Amino acid sequence: MTRRMRMIIPTGMIMTTNSSLYRLLAWLSPSFPVGAFSYSHGLEYAVEAGLVTCRDDLVRWISTLLHYGSGLNDAMLFVAAWRAMAARDKAALGEIIELSAAMRPTSEMALETQAQGAAFARAIRGAWPHSDIDGMLPPGAALSYPVIVAICAAAHGIGLRDALEAYLHAFAANLISAGVRLIPLGQTGGQNALRLLETDVTATADMAENLPLSEIGGATLMLDYCSAQHETQYTRLFRS
Amino acid sequence: MKPMSAAILPSEPPPAAWRQQVHGFADIRFARRGAATGLVHLAHHEPLRVLFSQPAANDSAQATLVNMSGGLIAGDRLDIDFSVGEDAAAICVASAAEKVCRSDGGECHIMTNIRAGENAWAEWLPQETIFFNGARLRRTTCLHLARGARILAGEFLVLGRIASGETVSSGYLRDVWRVHQDGRLMWVDALRMDGNFLALGAARAGLDGARAVATLVFAGRDVAGSLEPARGLQQAFGGGVLASASCVNGVLVMRWLAVEPQALRAALGNFWAAFRHHAAGLPAVLPRIWHV
Repeated sequence: MTRRMRMIIPTGMIMTTNSSLYRLLAWLSPSFPVGAFSYSHGLEYAVEAGLVTCRDDLVRWISTLLHYGSGLNDAMLFVAAWRAMAARDKAALGEIIELSAAMRPTSEMALETQAQGAAFARAIRGAWPHSDIDGMLPPGAALSYPVIVAICAAAHGIGLRDALEAYLHAFAANLISAGVRLIPLGQTGGQNALRLLETDVTATADMAENLPLSEIGGATLMLDYCSAQHETQYTRLFRS
Repeated sequence: MKPMSAAILPSEPPPAAWRQQVHGFADIRFARRGAATGLVHLAHHEPLRVLFSQPAANDSAQATLVNMSGGLIAGDRLDIDFSVGEDAAAICVASAAEKVCRSDGGECHIMTNIRAGENAWAEWLPQETIFFNGARLRRTTCLHLARGARILAGEFLVLGRIASGETVSSGYLRDVWRVHQDGRLMWVDALRMDGNFLALGAARAGLDGARAVATLVFAGRDVAGSLEPARGLQQAFGGGVLASASCVNGVLVMRWLAVEPQALRAALGNFWAAFRHHAAGLPAVLPRIWHV
């Protein structure tokens, strides 16, 4: 069903070319210097508290985030930012940048998105510059991670749907990588988790493309709780 | 069709067709006058009414917001504006729980704006919002702070009439916070559930079985210094509830989750009383109506 829906939804005017795929693979690879490996998005506390104890728990946890929480919210901000950048609508983009920075439930989730966003902007500026990007950003604004990835993708002519799925894949894969270390799981367990979440990523991308930004919101209150509790967790491997 | 008798159970609201939709509003403005805070403007429209009582000698001015309708039905709208002017201090407290009844498709809207002028202190103390199965509610609570101002504001949501065994399985809820300081958007939160109440209620990253949730926002001057004291007070008054606090984008956000609304109510009330004393030197008591 979701596959069929996907085919009839326009994904933006830009076709994905081989250079687009190459750039997405580079920018959303774990080796892109944003320090993704140092953030667990509250998972470190969830494991400590016994809320996530095995592969299936981890898949359910990430699936909830994708459908009803930070995954969907960031995907909706991603879609809005991509469209505003593709239209070179600076006013709309400014509002999305502000909303995305403000809409963070805890200090560590704000840190996680802003630190990665700033690092992503630096790396793009240094290695993959595009003349349209800097002029579209409000000076000194905090750049959240989904928003700056979307802006750079749109500037480089990378199609929305591909960029969005790549972003959500990276979100899920990074949480799984944290889970593999924390629970712990074997590498095969991690890959199985990633396979099991494929349809969730697709469904979240569908929702994000179809819901208006005025409907943004979620109900992952235990995620927020875990993230806040992580601030005072005694032994920590992760910054969030 | 529901049998008629179901509609006249005491806790059941009248069907929408029996009653006109309401658009209630309340505009309450306090300002500093000499050494004290006084009311400078009041306008309200049914079903909202505002009552005033004499605060204790060393406490802030107080307004009590009353909803005479007994519950919101589809299409109802409430607009509430609570302003505390420069150097003034006031609290607005709800007189009773707000009920949001099952909808036939339309939505209820509640828009609350809380404004604090320079160096003002404003408190917005609600009681439970009881969300019936099948209800549809959009609520936005906006805080607007001038330089040096502080606002302590809460929301307390209960999913279903738990005493009568109701579980919320359908409906729509979008409950939004927006905090503006010196005209800048500092923090936004949006709780949104659209028909997925059972899945979210059970999900470990969702509500994990909680049926009552409360959020308390403390915004304005030097709130970061209150993070550690807030955590301490949450622990001190925490029987049977999960409590957490984080200071994000310069806004202190405190949350509670509980299976039993009564446990949350006790934790929240005790915390609030102690916290207003910590943060503003006000008496560590809540207006009497909170306990009624």
